[in-house]
Amino acid sequence: MRHPKLTRTAQGVAAMFLLIASVQKFIGDPGSIEIFSSLEMEPTGRYLIAVIELVAALLLLSPLAALGSLLVVGVMCGAIIAHVTQLGLVVNDDGGGLVGMLVVVLLCAGYVLISRRKELPLVGDTL
Amino acid sequence: MKSTFIVDLERASRTANIGIVLLCLASGVAGYLVSFYFHFLTVTFFLLVLLNAFWRHGQTSHALLANFGFLAQIRYLVESIGPEFRQYLFASDTEERPFNRVERAEVYRKAKGVDSSAAFGSLLDFDRREIKLRHSFYPVDKDQIEPFDVAVGESRNLETTYHIRRPIMISAMSYGALGENAVRALARGARLAGAVMNTGEGGTPKYHLMEGCDLIFQIGTAKFGVRTPEGHLDEDKLAAIAGQDEVKMIEIKLSQGAKPGKGGLLPKEKITPEIAELRGVPMDEDVISPAHHLECVDAESTVAFIGRVQRVGGLPTGIKFCLGRPDEFRALVQEMKRQDIVPDFITVDGAEGGTGAAPKSFMDDVGMPLFEALPLVHKALQESGLRDRLVLFASGKLINPGKQMTALSLGADAVYSARGFLLALGCIQALQCNRNTCPVGITTHQKKLQKGLDIEDKAQRVANYIEALHHDHVELLSAMGRSSSRWLSEENVYSPTRAPASPLSQEPS
Ligand SMILES: Cc1cc2nc3c(=O)[nH]c(=O)nc-3n(C[C@H](O)[C@H](O)[C@H](O)COP(=O)(O)O)c2cc1C
Repeated sequence: MRHPKLTRTAQGVAAMFLLIASVQKFIGDPGSIEIFSSLEMEPTGRYLIAVIELVAALLLLSPLAALGSLLVVGVMCGAIIAHVTQLGLVVNDDGGGLVGMLVVVLLCAGYVLISRRKELPLVGDTL
Repeated sequence: MKSTFIVDLERASRTANIGIVLLCLASGVAGYLVSFYFHFLTVTFFLLVLLNAFWRHGQTSHALLANFGFLAQIRYLVESIGPEFRQYLFASDTEERPFNRVERAEVYRKAKGVDSSAAFGSLLDFDRREIKLRHSFYPVDKDQIEPFDVAVGESRNLETTYHIRRPIMISAMSYGALGENAVRALARGARLAGAVMNTGEGGTPKYHLMEGCDLIFQIGTAKFGVRTPEGHLDEDKLAAIAGQDEVKMIEIKLSQGAKPGKGGLLPKEKITPEIAELRGVPMDEDVISPAHHLECVDAESTVAFIGRVQRVGGLPTGIKFCLGRPDEFRALVQEMKRQDIVPDFITVDGAEGGTGAAPKSFMDDVGMPLFEALPLVHKALQESGLRDRLVLFASGKLINPGKQMTALSLGADAVYSARGFLLALGCIQALQCNRNTCPVGITTHQKKLQKGLDIEDKAQRVANYIEALHHDHVELLSAMGRSSSRWLSEENVYSPTRAPASPLSQEPS
């Protein structure tokens, strides 16, 4: 790890956004419901992603941050696929705010993943 | 064991590497057309594709991963849970041959520069009555250990007398048996560590010279690089090679432990146009060296030939052989005295030595093992009064410091290793040196397999290995109460009298 402080900051930022997103999904925020409806994943998919986001956020704050960041990168890739293929970049007239947040979280998690890659279980030794 | 396993791994990995990309695309399409849930798979495969791309193109320290991609990772996974598995299911840590896991792991760790201390106790089987080193009640302080320095050619007052500064040298392995990257990594590593490297019988050195390390040029029985069309010595060519700055010594190979009494063999699968040119041979058939130098048919002609190479080359010149009959060796020594021609060094190769390719019967059943042959040669030279006029090298499975110190105690002045260095390069003992399919890119000429062997990275490992061995030598010397390996003797070796291969048992006549 080259910049431990930067890495920890990135972990914190990503975890914070994820917690917010996860809670929104759990409490059934109308925006979330609309998104998952148009993906035909309501409500199972919404709860599933909420759980994954919660777990990932907690992992990011734990010694298993490397694993957490991998999970986050995966979820964010999925979200980006959703926006690119079906939802469009602007949802609910937010001016692209949601997608912007996605990108921020992806960048943070990506950075954590790269700087902590050696801590990944099973494959860490080879990276 | 057939080679199909690796051929299959190659094909399987190619399929797998393309397969994950296709699976990623397929789940992407399904995610779009059928259900968004398929994108869980899309993302998973996408990450795997990224990781795989990194393994294959973005890193150089794991040859198997670079060559085969994620399928090879299964090997690492098995290795990480291996100890438990093997203990119950497969071969134990001390069972594999030629080198068991314990021995190999030591080399890997030394090469990677990681701590090689172990805990709790030895994994070896002490009941089997192995040879051990004897320590002294009175260890010598480490700062009193003399720097290693063995002069070759001194007794003839040669201007070209060469000083060996590292007790471990890289034994003969030809370009041909080894691929270009392996040769260059070894040569660069030797230069980094200040060690000397033998070119092997591969003809005119080319890749060796690129790295600027000190070389011992080997003349094989086919005299590749220095032969006339009929296979006799071409003095002009020899003089030209000996005139290169890097070439410090010449070794005439009489025989080799893995196939004593039989010439070298380079399978035609491994002959490239370049090799054919460097050696001066055709491309479409196995290259089989004669069993002996055409010039050497008895003791008299052999000694005369040594004298001729000494004269033409002007360098310290020695011979390499695997001992068969002690009486023949004594006769050879008498002939040396008679003609007053003494080689500057003798390399004793044990029958347990390695090879790129040899008939199995020769590998298994011909020649004397090192720890029996070495003391015989040493004593015969002492008795004839020639011991002080030459230095002795030893080789044959000397890949760890303990075995090397044993050889130094039994008469050797410095040791050679071939396979130890292959392990340092990342050899996994796949036993395919003769097939051009070496999965880690060492004994192959296939570009795509050699890709996994990063010269810079592996050169450092070679250097680390030499440094770590040298370090351990100093530690052992200190424990044995000797300030230099030149003071080691048989007394420093404990050899149980009933051991199957006791170097101190009765001398065969
Ligand atoms: C791949 C390979 C190629 C070799 N090529 C030669 C050679 O060209 N000439 C030679 O005298 N010995 C050759 N040898 C034998 C080694 O130089 C050495 O004598 C023997 O391997 C013993 O050392 P080790 O047990 O440390 O491997 C070769 C060995 C290997 C493994």
